[in-house]
Amino acid sequence: MNTISRTGKIAKKVNTALLTGNEAIATGAYKAGVHVATGYPGTPSSEILPYLARFNNVIVNWSINEKTALEIAIGASIGYKRSMFTTKHVGLNVASDPFMTLAITGVRGGIVIITADDPNMHSSQNEQDNRLYSKFAKTPMFEPSDSNECLEFTNLAFEISEKFDTPVIVRTTTRISHSKSVVRIEPIYMPNLPENTGHKNHPEKIYVKDTEKFVMAPVYARKRHKIAIERLKKMQEFSNNSGINKIEYDSLDFGIITSGISYQYVKEVAPFASVLKLSFSYPVPDLLIKEFVKRVKTVIIVEELEPFIQNEVSSLGITLKGKEIFNRFGELTPDLVKEGLINSSFIKKSGDRSFNKKGLAKEGLAEFGSLLKILEKLPQRLPALCSGCPHTSVFYALKKLKIPVMGDIGCYTLGALPPLNAMDSCISMGLAFGAAQGLYLSNSSPKKIAGIMGDSTFFHSGITSLIDARYNNACFTAIILDNATTAMTGGQDHPGTGKNLSSGQAISNKIDIKRVVEGIGIDEIYTIDTYDYNTTYLTLKRALNSKNLNVVIAKRPCVLYPKKIDSGKKFTILEGCNGCDLCMQTGCPSILNSGRFSDNNKSIPLIDNSCTGCSICKDICVFNCIEEI
Amino acid sequence: MNTQNILVCGIGGQGVVLAGKIISRAAHEKGFDLKTSEIHGMSQRGGSVSTHIRFGRKVFSPLISQNCADIILSFDMYETLRCAADFANKNTLIISSSYGKIPLWTSSRKNDRIYIAEITAALKSNFGKLFTINDRELAMDLGNLKISNIISIGFLSKFTGIEDAFWLKAIESSVSEKTKEINMEAFLAGRKWKEIIGV
Repeated sequence: MNTISRTGKIAKKVNTALLTGNEAIATGAYKAGVHVATGYPGTPSSEILPYLARFNNVIVNWSINEKTALEIAIGASIGYKRSMFTTKHVGLNVASDPFMTLAITGVRGGIVIITADDPNMHSSQNEQDNRLYSKFAKTPMFEPSDSNECLEFTNLAFEISEKFDTPVIVRTTTRISHSKSVVRIEPIYMPNLPENTGHKNHPEKIYVKDTEKFVMAPVYARKRHKIAIERLKKMQEFSNNSGINKIEYDSLDFGIITSGISYQYVKEVAPFASVLKLSFSYPVPDLLIKEFVKRVKTVIIVEELEPFIQNEVSSLGITLKGKEIFNRFGELTPDLVKEGLINSSFIKKSGDRSFNKKGLAKEGLAEFGSLLKILEKLPQRLPALCSGCPHTSVFYALKKLKIPVMGDIGCYTLGALPPLNAMDSCISMGLAFGAAQGLYLSNSSPKKIAGIMGDSTFFHSGITSLIDARYNNACFTAIILDNATTAMTGGQDHPGTGKNLSSGQAISNKIDIKRVVEGIGIDEIYTIDTYDYNTTYLTLKRALNSKNLNVVIAKRPCVLYPKKIDSGKKFTILEGCNGCDLCMQTGCPSILNSGRFSDNNKSIPLIDNSCTGCSICKDICVFNCIEEI
Repeated sequence: MNTQNILVCGIGGQGVVLAGKIISRAAHEKGFDLKTSEIHGMSQRGGSVSTHIRFGRKVFSPLISQNCADIILSFDMYETLRCAADFANKNTLIISSSYGKIPLWTSSRKNDRIYIAEITAALKSNFGKLFTINDRELAMDLGNLKISNIISIGFLSKFTGIEDAFWLKAIESSVSEKTKEINMEAFLAGRKWKEIIGV
């Protein structure tokens, strides 16, 4: 809100807010007047769109997958509107087909692509470094290092997009997306205000076609590719002169070139070093790099994952150390940066507060040995399916049926972990049915194969491979775990839920999975309630005995989303339990160690009050030792 | 003031994220520069989770360095052990729930068995400032198990140099309208607890 002071001057009021990188990105996009924002949920990018949906006057929608999401953004741009597409790193692979060619057509309304990378794979299947996409596609890239920069750079990215006629990448990592920091913000850019008056949608323009720009038939594409290459030079000038890339001079003996979260670690552990911070990190500012290296005696590069900056610097004919000191995998941490700086003699090992475990022992803690000894026994706490998870009984049954299971990506990937151990592959979104067909063609399995994926994944990219299986006469059992949400990423809507983000006000059309499968021409379809374990087991067995391509739709809503479900029922272990451990094999987090043992020294389980009453353990117990309280 | 490093840990689904939110909001209300870091996604499904909170005059890294936590707040004794080994030093104040749970299948074999009592003993002999709170019992006294975390936050609040008013504002803006009253009550009960045990 602009407030008019007593002297009549209009003062822009600036507050601070504590925002995650994702929330700040949404705010920056809103500030820039984004008209359409799309994406598919994926950690660590998932919170951007829901936050943006809390503002008025923006169309924010979950799309069926990343490719479609980007295509929608492109269409909006062709219609002169600013648009944004958000994705996790691997999602940009899905959208890379439209992306690579969008990079040469350029834009009308600005297009900003948010790619949230996940170094160390906190919740991902790989840790690819999407900075390489900016070079691959010749598109500019911003790398924010805190929430305030997330807001500022996203806002600026729309301008840059239109100025240079190119999509722009804003690349974050988990530690940027999911870290909170203080953001300077005008109050009108806080969500949930009745009017959000600061919002400036682009003016309405009437559509006019531009064949040479948007029809990438060879004859036009050849011209556009040249334009894209020429654009690089102009952007490099901007990279050098705009002031976004900055040198912070301090010691002229030690210098560090860095970007993103690594910048914060560098400032934390080497406050004395001169720093060249790359915020607009592609194309790199060649002149700034040359100046920096000339003035500072020893310069190294601190970056996570790939030697992206290092290779760019190297192509300028400058050899600096980077990946010789820091790992090419995993995340950096302040400790790892410090260790690297010590190893490269930038800083000396000092007696400050940060010491490693050996140091801890030296500090003379009374019985550090006792701590180490007990630490060895502490089991790693792996993520697990929730108490009452509707997927549990399916995986328990699959485990008993001992068949090959081609799996997919979602909560149910946890079915691959012990004690369920009932999934044999997890590589990419929508892999399961394609891989099941391929494994079937390999003739290597005497048993019928199952492919398994969730409802959201089925919409994302399972439908096409199921059509392919039907078309090519493949034979396997396709299991669709329909929990009516996108659970792993926090319960987002999808075409099967009948709701969406900003269109949540008007209910979206609900797509029925069974009718989709019927439409493909598959006749043998079973629908089961997974809380009925015995029917689940018998149905799967029957489907796997059939010689047809068939589909099992396992239906039961998620216990967490959209609302926590607790049946109110609780179960308990009865006297006479012999510790056979069948119930334990479900991996249910409510089944704990009671501390009591059977005659043959086996643990007697205990069901604690986190039990949601799904009754699967009761159905499984062959000794009838589990009962409802 | 030096940067304060607070680590909140527990198991996915226990409310670690909410606790982190309340502590960071209180520090922000007071006017500190501040950074936090947490992990969403897969580890939230019953895995080990932690939130790093750092506040002071100027904060760069959102992550706490090894063995540099000033306070560890833990909602599960097993996680207390895990985090103390990585982040505590002998001056670290450790506030832990006396309760801990671990799924049976990870600890059912005989040589895997690990008991709360041994963990507590090992922690006690290594860290001078360990407080175990029977937060579940205290919460049941107030009539709601779900507020046990807020009791611990109330206890922690006394060690941060952040005044009551900021904490109450932070809680008010972080919990639902319906549970506001009982959460405030739980916070104040925890805050008093420090006096009860005389530290």
